[in-house]
Amino acid sequence: MKRRNSILAKMISFLFAIVFAMALHPRAIAEDVSAATALEAALEKDPDNLRLGSEYRQLIIRTSQYDRALKFFEKLVQEHDNAASAHLNYAFAYVDKIPIAGSITQVLLANSALAQFSRSLELGPSWIGYYSRGNSYLYWPKIFGRTPLGIDDLKEAMRLQRGESKKAYYVRTYIALGDGYWKMDELNKAKAIWNEGLSLFPGNPALKARLSTQGDELKAVMDDAYDITKRIDTSLQELWADQGTQGR
Amino acid sequence: MKTSSQSNRSRKETAISKRRKTGFRIASSLSILAVGLLAFSMALSAVNESESAIRFEEVSQKAGVQHLHHTRKFQGKSADVLGMFTSGGSSVAVGDFDNDGWDDLFVTDSDTNRPNRLFRSNGDGTFTDLTVSAEVGSGNDSRSIVSDALWFDYDNDGWRDLLVARFGTPILYHNEGNHKFRDVTIRSGLNEFANTIAVIAFDYDNDGYLDLLFGNYFQPENLISLKNPKVLPNDLDNAVNGGGVGLWRNNGNGTFANVTAKAGLDNQKGWILDVGHGDLNNNGFQDIYLAGDYGTDRMYLNNGDGTFTDVTEKALGGFDTKKGMNAEFGDYDNDGLLDIYVTNITDEYMKECNMLWHNDGGTFTDLSKETGTCDTLWGWAAKFGDFDNDGWVDLIAVNGLRSAGKENYIPVLFQMMVTPGIDFSDVNNWPNIGNMSWSGYQKKKLFHNLRGQVFKEISAEAGVDNDSDGRGIGITDFDNDGRLDFYQTNADQPSQLYWNRSAGAGNWVELKLEGTKSNRDAIGARIALQTDELTLLRMVDGGNGYAGQGSTRVHFGLGRATKVNSVEIRWPSGHVDKLAIPINKISYIREGGTIRK
Repeated sequence: MKRRNSILAKMISFLFAIVFAMALHPRAIAEDVSAATALEAALEKDPDNLRLGSEYRQLIIRTSQYDRALKFFEKLVQEHDNAASAHLNYAFAYVDKIPIAGSITQVLLANSALAQFSRSLELGPSWIGYYSRGNSYLYWPKIFGRTPLGIDDLKEAMRLQRGESKKAYYVRTYIALGDGYWKMDELNKAKAIWNEGLSLFPGNPALKARLSTQGDELKAVMDDAYDITKRIDTSLQELWADQGTQGR
Repeated sequence: MKTSSQSNRSRKETAISKRRKTGFRIASSLSILAVGLLAFSMALSAVNESESAIRFEEVSQKAGVQHLHHTRKFQGKSADVLGMFTSGGSSVAVGDFDNDGWDDLFVTDSDTNRPNRLFRSNGDGTFTDLTVSAEVGSGNDSRSIVSDALWFDYDNDGWRDLLVARFGTPILYHNEGNHKFRDVTIRSGLNEFANTIAVIAFDYDNDGYLDLLFGNYFQPENLISLKNPKVLPNDLDNAVNGGGVGLWRNNGNGTFANVTAKAGLDNQKGWILDVGHGDLNNNGFQDIYLAGDYGTDRMYLNNGDGTFTDVTEKALGGFDTKKGMNAEFGDYDNDGLLDIYVTNITDEYMKECNMLWHNDGGTFTDLSKETGTCDTLWGWAAKFGDFDNDGWVDLIAVNGLRSAGKENYIPVLFQMMVTPGIDFSDVNNWPNIGNMSWSGYQKKKLFHNLRGQVFKEISAEAGVDNDSDGRGIGITDFDNDGRLDFYQTNADQPSQLYWNRSAGAGNWVELKLEGTKSNRDAIGARIALQTDELTLLRMVDGGNGYAGQGSTRVHFGLGRATKVNSVEIRWPSGHVDKLAIPINKISYIREGGTIRK
């Protein structure tokens, strides 16, 4: 009963924050700042709320207040070190800043994101944690030797999803794991996992693009997919779509 | 970031759409038959263009100009890192110092007591080393490191003088006109210490005397007897603790005065690797572009009153975070406006992309990706030149930082970079590189210009795809045959001289200008040449491009044109000459219109 009340309270605070933010958007920057403040207040009360953090980060992206978010999540995880989703949001906040950063800063941000993904996984292994960290490793040039770590994470994400009912976003693991093998020059393994993905998710354009090209053309597809200057969608919308309004 | 700004995207779309519309208008005005013929002829043309005839032969040994550069060897525990950070001083200056009609070479070295070299052209494809007799070899002493060189006639006596730039104070040699030089540095007043890596000469105030713009890498700390270890960049994308620039005005009496602050150029402290000049808005005054390492490229427009205005944000759409290495000016698409090519770092671990700033008339759009000139790996010098005389300037770019052992420095460097709270500026925090490689063994890039729309990389077929650790490029027509040759300098490796052997190159003209009211070298002169097919723009530049000065003799490829319809020269003084000139010849033109054929 106590837990149910707690969830209810969190949902109310979350809905209040969303309604508050939506009511103000799109408005002047000052109003965006105020919306961010409201979402921060809601997150302080509910630090482990992945969805609330995600909404907050999307507002931050729209208003280019990246450093504000990083500062906020830094404080949040200091105060709530056991909140696995707070660490996930902190990691995504680093990822969100990468497209607007210089080439060296991008490396530093990506590395900081990995640290937060790892902390989140220490606290509570999750599909989103393994997938996100594994996928992040794939953005690193091969020279840093991180692709095998990415493959390991993605295999773990695959193991978790195979034990659950099919969800639309699980196709991402097939794509990324195949990409990891491709990066390691294991083309046969890459094709096998992409094909397996396509059989489960027929018509997926990313899988089709990979399976219908080879050589330089395939490399171009991969270069485009892992272009660090392009913004990665960290809104996690697919999670909520699958979980309905209960998702957090 | 300028590359992702909306305004830049919008400019890009406008620039590309403008060209498409122009093409559409032309096509739509033709009959169906004509369109068919045009398409056929364009197809043939495309085949010809994609199969470039550009060919070079490396002849440095045969010509007697091969020079082995040596990076300075430092002492003490930071020796390794400082050596790595100062490996950029392998440069070349091309100029006809003895007025015999053949361009000569001055090439730098950087290690203690290693001489710079003066190679005089014998006019037969060989050169004679006059370093000792001309007394211009010095500069690498226990307090200074030679980094760049420049020919310019500072006193307008008709003999090109020589400036040697250093991590230290510069050296100015007066050309005595008898293959001898005299050190006039003390008298010149060029006495301020700076860690200069680039220098150009141009007449910023159009008073008829050439001024000097120094690009300084480090702040003015003496690296050889380092007192403060915090001399390295304080941020690797937005550093603000570099050396900035120094503008020195030529007083017209053999002395120079530091006017950096007065000109409004003292407000930025970037890690300047190259400086370039050109009249970007065709108002008769020379504007400047500063290529900064660790971010901070800058564009300044000349106000015409001795001051400059920083227009970076407005003209380029923002401030970049890239590793700018080169500032080359040229009109690559023959639209009558000077564009700018900047090299950055594009490698496995860093994807910056170069910048080809297309001049839209007041604002600039980076079209490096669209034109295929984005990736030259770890870039250094890049220069425009019409190597097949087809009327479109091609682009040669050298690259490569350090080719050594199999082990790669990047993972080692990475460990330092991600250390929490690390101070990048402290030289003691950087790991030694030892015998590791860092962006080494990179093939040079030669881009063939396909009618100003796109470039095709042809370095292998052209024979210039060496993998030396390139630094500077000096372009000229060394053998006066109407085809552009070039000299490539490398760090800690021998230089190369590439002789242009392209068969079937187009017609050409070369113009050597002599100012009377304007500076004698005519640096800053703008020359517009018209044929039946093309209108071409060239400028006389005073050392644009990293670690290399090309000839002040301007070269035009004419393609199949058999005559020049007109040549218009706008001199720095503002005087305009309109002339008729012969093709396939070098013409000497004095301000006022006198031609010596």
